[in-house]
Amino acid sequence: MTDTGAVYDLGYSPYDGERLGRTGARRTVFGDGLRRVMGIRRKGRRKILPWLLVIVAVLPPIAFVGISFFVPIDVGEAFDAAQQHSQFFSLGGTIVMLFTALAAPELLIPDRRDGVLSMLSSRPMTSNDYLVARFASLVTIVGAFLLGPQLVLYIGQAGVDPDGVLQGLIDGLPNLPRVLFVAAIYTVAFVPLGFVVASLSNRKGIAASVYIASMIALTAIAEAIVQNATFTGGRFFALLAPINAADSANSWVFGTENAESLFVAADLNPGLGVVAIAVIGLAATAFSVHRYRRLM
Amino acid sequence: METAFTASGLGHAYGDVVALHGLDVSVPEGRIGLVGANGAGKSTLIKILLGILEPTTGSATVLGMDTEASMVDVRSLVGYMPEGPCLPLDQTAADFLVYAAGTAGLPHDAARQRASDVLTLVGLDEERFRYLGDYSTGMKQRAKLAQAIVHDPKLVFLDEPTSGLDPSGREQMLDLIARLGGFGIDVVVSSHVLRDIERTCDWVVMLDEGTLLHAGPIGVDAARTTVRLELNGDPEPVVASLTERGATVAADGRRLIVGHDRHDVFDLILDVTVANGASIRKLDSGAASLEEIFLAKGRRA
Repeated sequence: MTDTGAVYDLGYSPYDGERLGRTGARRTVFGDGLRRVMGIRRKGRRKILPWLLVIVAVLPPIAFVGISFFVPIDVGEAFDAAQQHSQFFSLGGTIVMLFTALAAPELLIPDRRDGVLSMLSSRPMTSNDYLVARFASLVTIVGAFLLGPQLVLYIGQAGVDPDGVLQGLIDGLPNLPRVLFVAAIYTVAFVPLGFVVASLSNRKGIAASVYIASMIALTAIAEAIVQNATFTGGRFFALLAPINAADSANSWVFGTENAESLFVAADLNPGLGVVAIAVIGLAATAFSVHRYRRLM
Repeated sequence: METAFTASGLGHAYGDVVALHGLDVSVPEGRIGLVGANGAGKSTLIKILLGILEPTTGSATVLGMDTEASMVDVRSLVGYMPEGPCLPLDQTAADFLVYAAGTAGLPHDAARQRASDVLTLVGLDEERFRYLGDYSTGMKQRAKLAQAIVHDPKLVFLDEPTSGLDPSGREQMLDLIARLGGFGIDVVVSSHVLRDIERTCDWVVMLDEGTLLHAGPIGVDAARTTVRLELNGDPEPVVASLTERGATVAADGRRLIVGHDRHDVFDLILDVTVANGASIRKLDSGAASLEEIFLAKGRRA
């Protein structure tokens, strides 16, 4: 057709450039997920909750470091740096749960409710590509949410180090691999179940409530069974509670004592908890994949 | 000529409900109308062609590629405007179109440029920074069309693009669809409104309860003319004489529809009318409309 010269409508120029196919589609959905959760390029009120939670999450380490700065006690003696990291992980757990409750429904529900999925289902990607991209957004953003306060703490510790900032940064370095590992455990403990709930409900508020309720219920049920079970093997029910499993893995990795831990009561190896988190995470992910195969 | 799409023995069932029965059709490039009542299988066919649904029997190709084996390649080159809603209500039109172009595989800068161009094209350039949730139905339909063509597809599937529009919105949408050919974009447009298809398409595929009723160019069908005739006087001898001379006549009182394949049919009608002492009140040469084809074929089926 072009050989003979086609007459095109004025005001329209065909696109002859690069087409990135699946890779481009996945990358776009991933980036959209990050902006969507944080309310970026959305109406003002959509920004309030996510950024409020970010502030709430980074405030404690800032306050902690600030106090150490103005009240010059030797923090190194009161707590060691590893202990502080561990403490802020368990302190942040509840906020991470709230954040996941906000983020997961935001990533999946509007696309189904507003029909955007029918547009996306005609694009060069599969339902798995879509889910992987959305899952990656959630993991990235929850991971960043967990690591943000830890980073503030790391820099803050260095800032108040009596031997100077640079020495402080170097001293704190050995903690960082552990920080990353524990952040990964918490992420896998919180994210997949949020994804499952968001893939089932069509209301963001309901999904968020059901998610929070089930996380709390899992802990309550596990505790009740471990403490009151008369049958043998009751203690293994502790593995059902992702929050407790993550907390005990946290104490284990940083070598802090937590006598009240469910895993101590159940006399279970925290490593087993990490395995349980991974298994529950995989099962939840498989369920979401199965569900979306019918939707897209 | 290359084909827009083909189907061979194509069938699809939703559980026990069969939506398409072994469809065989080969459709050339151009502006294709997909006609049928609600539930005729139009949307099902489109979804199979897009690789959203898998055929239960048979196979289909789009732009020469198998819809199942080359699903991603097909989707890179086609656009789709679903019948239902498909717009994120919390995004501005500008942001959404950049997103839509990105999901179709365009790099970011190109996506921004195309989004801006296409919004101008569908007449939404002034409204680009408004949230889609605040759009009227007509604007939403135009935004839906925009996302279907933002990546400059070779072929675009429009599922009931005029549904829910008021008359002026409908006109604007049909004009836009008619212009797509000028952009080098082939169109498959589904509708249960035959007039819309007649206005915008040059080829038609008619479906009825999941089976193919008719497929062919609208132009050739239009050439098979029909004459509409209204008489003063007794119509019965006229009808008898016309039938005798090989014309097909449908009579409704004094109104006759005369079908013919002779070039001198008007002379014939004049002769017969005068010979039988009647006179012509109204004479109208009209192309067989899709509705007539639809009714004729439907009755036979």
